[in-house]
Amino acid sequence: MIADDGEARLEMRAENLHEGTRLGPIFYIVSGEQISAFACAIGSKNPLYAGAGAIAPPTMRLLDYALLITKHFKGGKGGVHAKHWCEYHAPMRAGQAVRVDGVMTDAAHKRGKFYFTLEYETRDAATGELLTRQAITSVLLNDKGRMA
Amino acid sequence: MSDQPRHLNEGDVIAAAPYLLDAAAAEAYGASVKEPARRRSKNIHSDPQAAAEAGFAKPIAAGEQTIAVMMQLIADRCGEVFYRGGRFEVALIKPVLYGDTLAARARVERIANGFAELSMRVENQRGEAVLTGTARAPLAER
Repeated sequence: MIADDGEARLEMRAENLHEGTRLGPIFYIVSGEQISAFACAIGSKNPLYAGAGAIAPPTMRLLDYALLITKHFKGGKGGVHAKHWCEYHAPMRAGQAVRVDGVMTDAAHKRGKFYFTLEYETRDAATGELLTRQAITSVLLNDKGRMA
Repeated sequence: MSDQPRHLNEGDVIAAAPYLLDAAAAEAYGASVKEPARRRSKNIHSDPQAAAEAGFAKPIAAGEQTIAVMMQLIADRCGEVFYRGGRFEVALIKPVLYGDTLAARARVERIANGFAELSMRVENQRGEAVLTGTARAPLAER
């Protein structure tokens, strides 16, 4: 769940995005219901995603970057997803409590657009075991909703 | 589908069944990732004007859904070992419009040091690449 930081959150604008800014942590419990719904939505019948001990499909929590952003920023026109990488260290399982932390690793104008890269990692909240590390690179839309 | 790794050889091509990314598929995907709710009620995924301002002819599908289609193919083929040492890197190079049919495929480019190195590509129904990338999949439990 996202903490309501109200007006303490910064506007999601280029001038407020800086390399080195840390986002998070956020915490949640991996949902077995979400695993089933996600696998169904994406068309997978893999038994790994069913029953007790189900594991999360590889991109089910990819959107955690947006939770991190929403916790720290408000407003803005959003962005356009350009690149993504992810490395897997251990499966994320139904019922597992996890913690997600992020850091802006790049935020700069390039070729007439403003790009930012947010790297984030997910760990078991109890043991600290690393589960995934990933990063999104996105083009930030400006106040007029444009990529330029 | 299996939770056991399957043998991969250099040159193998694996392909997913065509995936129709229409409004219903987008809605099902959106419901399955219900957090976070879209921060803006009007965005490039839902509003023609917002899409036009960003330079798109129509609202576009979320890039995450295309990535999900691609990576599900890899994970389903490789089994649980993928979650211990697997990795991917992708670029979303062309927008996906609602109603597009996505064809995801991967080719094993190299087997080395206990990993399969794959190239990946998702095309729309016009044969245009919408996603390209690479992945690395362990061949056995690590």
